[in-house]
Amino acid sequence: MMKLLKLEYYKNLNYRPFKVFTILYFAILIALLFIGLADLKLFGNPINLKEQGMYDFPGIWNFTTWTVALLKIFLGLIIVFSISQEFSNRMFKQNTIDGLSREEFIGSKLITITIFTVISTVLVFCITLFLGKSYSTVTDSEMVFKEIFFIGNYFVKLFSFFCFLMFLSILLRKSVFVFLAFFVIWVGEAVIGGIEAYSKLTGMQGAQRNEVLQNEFFFSKLFPLESMSSLIPNPMLRLNMAKMMGLKYEFTYPTESLIACLVWCAIFIIGSYWILKKRDW
Amino acid sequence: MEKVLSVKNLTKRFKRVVVNNISFDVERGNVYGLLGPNGSGKSTTFGMLLSTINPTSGDWFWFGKKGTDSETLKKIGAIIEQPNFYPYLSAETNLKIVAEIKGTPYSRINEVLQTVGLLERKKDTFKTFSLGMKQRLAIASSLLNNPEVLILDEPTNGLDPEGIIQIREIIGTIAKQGITIIIASHLLDEIEKICSHVIVLKDGNAIYSGAVDGMTSNHGYFELKADNNASLLKALEELQWFTSVKIDGETIKAHVRDDASISASGLNQKLAEKGIFLSHLAKKKQSLENQFLELVKNTH
Repeated sequence: MMKLLKLEYYKNLNYRPFKVFTILYFAILIALLFIGLADLKLFGNPINLKEQGMYDFPGIWNFTTWTVALLKIFLGLIIVFSISQEFSNRMFKQNTIDGLSREEFIGSKLITITIFTVISTVLVFCITLFLGKSYSTVTDSEMVFKEIFFIGNYFVKLFSFFCFLMFLSILLRKSVFVFLAFFVIWVGEAVIGGIEAYSKLTGMQGAQRNEVLQNEFFFSKLFPLESMSSLIPNPMLRLNMAKMMGLKYEFTYPTESLIACLVWCAIFIIGSYWILKKRDW
Repeated sequence: MEKVLSVKNLTKRFKRVVVNNISFDVERGNVYGLLGPNGSGKSTTFGMLLSTINPTSGDWFWFGKKGTDSETLKKIGAIIEQPNFYPYLSAETNLKIVAEIKGTPYSRINEVLQTVGLLERKKDTFKTFSLGMKQRLAIASSLLNNPEVLILDEPTNGLDPEGIIQIREIIGTIAKQGITIIIASHLLDEIEKICSHVIVLKDGNAIYSGAVDGMTSNHGYFELKADNNASLLKALEELQWFTSVKIDGETIKAHVRDDASISASGLNQKLAEKGIFLSHLAKKKQSLENQFLELVKNTH
């Protein structure tokens, strides 16, 4: 364990993309979390997210985790670059010859992924708590911790996302191909999801349509990127829904998405190992 | 002799057969040359023995243990094709990574850098090194764990004459320490200088495995010169000890027959009895290069 940690430390510490994206990540992350304090102009109307209740418990957990999760791509880039350079510099082969097993190689990358995820999660937790304590109109502890599961979901979301990128990097070995594949999968999931929704909803009206949306099971929900994104729904829905329908926003915990994510993680890790084992280097 | 490596019926098929059913043994303390033209399967063989390439069939045993696991690799030092290091890291940090993988103390790093003469450059990043320095760093890295076996795949490829000499001297020093070395090269004079045994590959087949001397049954040849080469030629032909006697410029080359064994002094005496006095006589062994070419040619 210490050995793998040291390896990753030496490999990454002086790696330029690592430095650049780490700095970018933290700079943008902190800026973004405090964005709600500033007065924004959206479609000509001044909007202050704080006054919209974004910093109120318990909704703030949803708001911050969703916002910060957008930045995961910066950490993702570090992972993609640092794994694909192992192959472009033939270092995976060299490490193997020196006596690093495939299990240890995957293990060392998973350690990096875990560290990134843990640091990011802890940071989001601390900042959210701070912002909430400072600006929330609700501060009784029941409300404060009511939706704290978003932090857990955030952890799972990031971890699955990074495992996904690790798998693509090991599969394709070139960062350009990884980005291309990622884009194709992203669009592909949306297209297939659209087709599924169309085929299930076609010819339906209002109430019937809503009922199908609520109760029917959509297979496209189980796709990797879709299940990751379902873990933390867009917080804007809360505001809009409440406004438009005058209803209280009901959030149902995305259990099937959580299970799907965990299954995907297992598939990506085992798949990565399998590729390293079966391919000739 | 203790067998360090034993290879049995090893085969690798990519789209065509690259390594075909080869078997050989490597004994402790010897220096082995793996010979063969480009594309004869040398690197693929090394790849399988070092666990980076999955074999199609066949087995091998390192130190009597089947296959290659991480523990075995820690007793082996290897340089494959080209020196591989993280280009953005210093020589020292690169070696720290290797030391970490092999479980070697960091104190060895300065020792091996000293051996290959790179101690002053240890803080410089790998990408600033010349090819010769990169290759020397690769040797340093392979020596880090005091290996029992050293595998070198084309260690002098692409180096300038000075670099070749440096690498050759380093390998010579290592060989004297009793480390078993398996070296692949197509520079035959290089192999000839350091190897006691050879394995010859051709189109994926091992066509010879054993001591350098036993590679061909050829007993070498004599180089002779006399004041009257014509009568010398006639006398040599009469002796029936040679497969061929040819004039080669100023000298005559007489190739010894397989079943004959004659010494230079014996030949000199015989010729003197016939009244021929030599101005030049030398018994020469066939060079490894000629033996190799002969062997490869014969298996067509």
